[in-house]
Amino acid sequence: MNSNPHPPAWADRLLKGFCPPYLLEELLGDLHEQFEDHVQQVGESKARRLYVLEVIRFCRPYFLKRRAAHLTKPVLKTAQPFASTRDQPPHFLHPDMLRNYLKIAFRNLWKSKGYAAINVVGLSVAFCICVFLFLTAYLQLTYDSFHKDGDRIFQTYYFSNDPERPTRSGTMPLPLLPALKADYPELEAATRVIAGRKSLVEVKGNYFDKLVVQTDADFLKIFSFPLIRGNRAIALRDLSSIVISENMATALFGTENPMGKPIEVGNDADKRQYVVTGVIGDAPNNSTIQYDALVRPESWPGYQTGKDAWASNSHAVYLKLPPQINKATFENRLKPFVQKYFRGRLDELQKKGAKPDQQGDVFAVRLQHLSDIHFDREISSGRGAPIALVYTILAIAFFILLIACINFINLSIARSFTRAREIGVRKSLGALKNQLFVQIWGESTLLCLVGFGVGLVLTILLLPRFNATFDARLNLDYMLQPGFIGLILSIFLLVTLVAGGYPAWQMSKFNAVEVLKGKLSMKRPGILRNSLIVTQFAMSALLACCTIIAAQQVDYLRARPLGFQKDQVISIPVGTQVNGRQVLGRLRNKLVNDPSVLAVTGTNVNIGRGMDRVSSRSTSGYTYKGKDVTSDWLLVDYDYLKTLNIRPLSGRDFDRAYSTDSLKSVIITESLAKMMGEKNPVGLLLGDDADSTDSKLRIIGVIPDFHLYSLADQARPITMHISNSEPIHYIFVRVTPQSLAGSMEKLKAIWQEVAPQSEFIGSFMDANVDAWYQNEEQMAKICSLASGIAILLSCLGLFAVAMMVIEQRTKEIGIRKVMGASIPNIIVVLSRDFVKLVVIALLVAIPIAWFLMNTWLDNYLERIQISFWVFAGVGLSAILIALATVSFQTIKAALVNPVKSLRSE
Amino acid sequence: MGRPYLGEFEELVLLTVAVLDGGAYGVTIAAELKQRTDRIISLSGVHIALYRLEEKGFVKSELGGATAARGGRRKRLFGITAAGKQTLGEMRQVRNELWDSIPTPSWS
Repeated sequence: MNSNPHPPAWADRLLKGFCPPYLLEELLGDLHEQFEDHVQQVGESKARRLYVLEVIRFCRPYFLKRRAAHLTKPVLKTAQPFASTRDQPPHFLHPDMLRNYLKIAFRNLWKSKGYAAINVVGLSVAFCICVFLFLTAYLQLTYDSFHKDGDRIFQTYYFSNDPERPTRSGTMPLPLLPALKADYPELEAATRVIAGRKSLVEVKGNYFDKLVVQTDADFLKIFSFPLIRGNRAIALRDLSSIVISENMATALFGTENPMGKPIEVGNDADKRQYVVTGVIGDAPNNSTIQYDALVRPESWPGYQTGKDAWASNSHAVYLKLPPQINKATFENRLKPFVQKYFRGRLDELQKKGAKPDQQGDVFAVRLQHLSDIHFDREISSGRGAPIALVYTILAIAFFILLIACINFINLSIARSFTRAREIGVRKSLGALKNQLFVQIWGESTLLCLVGFGVGLVLTILLLPRFNATFDARLNLDYMLQPGFIGLILSIFLLVTLVAGGYPAWQMSKFNAVEVLKGKLSMKRPGILRNSLIVTQFAMSALLACCTIIAAQQVDYLRARPLGFQKDQVISIPVGTQVNGRQVLGRLRNKLVNDPSVLAVTGTNVNIGRGMDRVSSRSTSGYTYKGKDVTSDWLLVDYDYLKTLNIRPLSGRDFDRAYSTDSLKSVIITESLAKMMGEKNPVGLLLGDDADSTDSKLRIIGVIPDFHLYSLADQARPITMHISNSEPIHYIFVRVTPQSLAGSMEKLKAIWQEVAPQSEFIGSFMDANVDAWYQNEEQMAKICSLASGIAILLSCLGLFAVAMMVIEQRTKEIGIRKVMGASIPNIIVVLSRDFVKLVVIALLVAIPIAWFLMNTWLDNYLERIQISFWVFAGVGLSAILIALATVSFQTIKAALVNPVKSLRSE
Repeated sequence: MGRPYLGEFEELVLLTVAVLDGGAYGVTIAAELKQRTDRIISLSGVHIALYRLEEKGFVKSELGGATAARGGRRKRLFGITAAGKQTLGEMRQVRNELWDSIPTPSWS
C-alpha cells in the first residue's frame, strides 16, 4: 500500500477550491478510483497528467456557480445537494438575482428617462473633456520620458549669480564639449545638439527643406531613438556620414533603400556631400530633440572658425553619467572645470559684486535632468511648456469630473426617495443591506458605463476638431498606452465608487418599516445636496473668473507698445532655396517705383512667429571698458528702422552713402548704451577690451529699446549690424495703409518673379506678433472651454435637482395657491432657495479666484490689476443663469392647477 | 414534447445507468461509455450529466460503497427511475417510427 502512487495533491486542492463541498467526497473518490485504473493501464506519469487534465475539466460554470452559491450560505450542507438549495434564498450574486437586478435597472432607467439622459449626457461630456485634458497633460508629463536610462541623461547649463538677477542658460559654446570629454573621461557619453534652422537638402536634382541637426557620434549612445537601418556604433563615425529619419527617407527616396546614397546639404559655397549611413526612427511629438537628419558638427563649414569661440553660445550639450555618479557629485567635479575655462566670466561677475550662492558658486556649469528640460523654460530658451500650465489643465479636468460626479450623486439621492418603496418591499422580503447596496450601486455603474462609452465615442469623434482648435497633436495611439488606460480605468472606478457608492449606501440604510408606512423622511432637507450644489457653482464661478482675467491679461499684453510699429508690415521668410540677399536686391528694384510700398529691408531674425515657425537667437558678449556687456546680435539691412518705424534717439540709420556702414558700423539700443555706461555713445568704438586688432565697430546710432522677442521677456539690449557675409532670412516690406488689402497678393505675384524656386509664405507682422502669446492664448481657450462646460454641467445638475424638489413640493404649491398665493409669489418662494446656494458659492469662489489670479499675474513683468467688475459680472451672471435654469421648472409648477395637484388623495 | 429536454450525451449516460443496473457511478459510467463509444469522456462531463438527470427526475442516487482505491470516500450510486425508463422508451419509439418512415427504395 505504501508504494501506491498518489495523484498530485495540488490538483486535489485546486478541485477543493472550485467544487461545492457537498460534492467533493464523491468527485474526489471517483477521480482517485479512475487514477488507480489509469496507473495500471498507462503508467504513473501519464496517469498523473490525465488526472490533472481531469481536474481542470471540473473547472466549469456548473460547479463554479454552485460553489459560489455555497460559499455565501455557510449553512452546512451534507448529503442532499439539490433539495436544500431550493429551500434557501438564492445568493445575491446568483444569476437569477443578477438577471432580476438588470431587469429592474432597465425598467427604472426607462421610467425616469429624463434623469438617465441628464446623467449620461453630463457624464459623457465630462468624461470626453477629461480625456482630452488628461491626454494633453499626459503628453506633456511624459515629455522625453521614452529614453532608456533617462535618469542618467542631463543637459548642461550655465548658472551665473548675477547681482541683478541670477540667470541660467542652456546654450553652450562649441569648444565646451571637447574640453568636457578630455577632462572627464568618466562620462559615459556626451554630445552637442546643434539644431538651428532648416537646411537645403538636394537629392538627384530635387530640393527639400529639412532640419539637419549637427551632433556628435554619442548622440546614438545617449538617446534611444530606434535606429532602423545601420549600425549604432559606426553610423556617425565619419564626417561624411548622415543619419536620416524614417520620414525623410520616405520623402527623399520613396521605397528605395537609402543606405549608401549621396545627399547634398547646404547652399552654394557651403554645400557638402554626405552619404546615408543610417535610418533613425522619427522623433516622437513629446521629444525635446527634433530632427530630420543628423550629421557631425565638424563637417559644418563654419566649424573651424567657431570651434574655439568660448563666448559664442549656440547649442545644447547632453551628458550621460555613469550609474555610480549622481548629479550633485558631478556638479561638484565641474567646479575646477569652471575655474579652468571661465576665469574671465568669474572675474567679471566678482567685479560686479556677485556673491556665491548656497552651493558656493558665482558661476557654474550645472546639470538639468532630461525629464525636467521641457518644463524649464529658461534652459530650453522658452520652447517648453510651463509645468504650471500642465497642473492647471489637470486641476480643470479634475474639477469637471467632480462636477459631473456631484450631479450624479445629487440625482441619485433625489431619485432615491421615489424608489424608497421598492427598497422597503425588498427589505421586508428579506433583502440584506449589502444586497441592496450592490443592486443600487450596480445600477449606477451601469449608467456610468453608458456615460463613459458615449464619452469615449465623443472623444474619438471630436479628436480632430480638438487638435485643430488647440493646435494640439493628440492621437489615439496615446490613448492606447497602458499608463493612460490605467489612468482612465482608475478614474472610472473612482467615479462609480464615489458617485454610485454613496447614494447606494444611503439608500440601503433606509428603515423598511418607516418607508412602507410612507414616513420617509425629509428629515434632513438635503444638507449634503445643497453643499454639493454650492461646491459645483463655486468651481464654475472660479473657472469663469480665471478665464476672464487671463483673457484680459493676454489682451493687455497684446495692446502694449512693442517699440516699433507692427502694422502694415509684411514679413516674408526667404527659405533656403534662394539667396536672400539677391532676392532682396531684386525685390527692391521691382518695388522701388511702387507708391504703395514705403520701405523694404532684410534681417536674420523674424519678429513674431511667422509661417515658417522658426525662431532663432544669437547673442554676443564681451567686455567694454571693464564692463560685462551682452546683447542680441541682429543682422539687418538698409531701411530696417524705416520699415519698422523706429526713430533714432541720436545718430543716424544705416546709409548707403557711407561706404563703411556695411562693414564696421553698428546701431545699438538705449539699454545697451546704459549697460556700457555711456551717455552719448555715438561715434564710440564697440568691441572687447582684449581685442587689439582693427575689428572694433563704430556706433553710428542709438535707438529706443524694442521687443525683438516675446513680451514675457524683458526687452534686451540689441546690436544691429549690416554684414554682407551673413545670409538674410527674412524680408520685411512696409506698405501704405490704403494699399494694405491687396498688397499680399501683389507681393506674391512679384515674389514669383524674383524668387521662382521659393514658395511665398509671407504673413502680416501683427499676426506673427500675436503668435508670441500662443501659450497664454491656448490656456485662455482651454479655460474658457472648460468653464463653459463646467457651467453647463452645473446648470444641468441644478435643473434636475429643481425638477426633483419641485415634484416633491407639488402639494405644498397647491395648498399655497388655494390659500391665495399669486404666481410670482410662488416663483419667488421656489427660486429663493437656489439663489441662496449660488450666492454662497460665489462668496467661496471669489476670494479664491482673486488669490490664484493675483499669483499668476505676478509672473508677468507687465500685469493688469484685477478689477472688481469681473467678479461682479461673473456673480450676477451666475445668479441669472441659475434663475433661468430653475425658472422653467418653477413657472411650470406655479401654473399648475391646484385641483390637479391636490386631488391625488 | 411534454417531458424535459434530453441531450444526446445525457441520453447516453441515462442508458448507461440503465445498463449498469445498480453499479452505476461516475467511474463505471465513464469507463463503459469510453469503451462503447470510443470518444473522450471526461468525468466532469459525466457528473454534470448525472446531476442534471437527477434534477430532471430521471435518475435517483444514494451514497455508499467506500473502497480503499477511493481513499475511503463513498461513491454516489445512481439508478434509473420510472420516469427515466419511460422517457427512454418514448425516445426509442420516436426513433423507430422515424426509421420506419424512411422510404425504402432510395435506401440502397
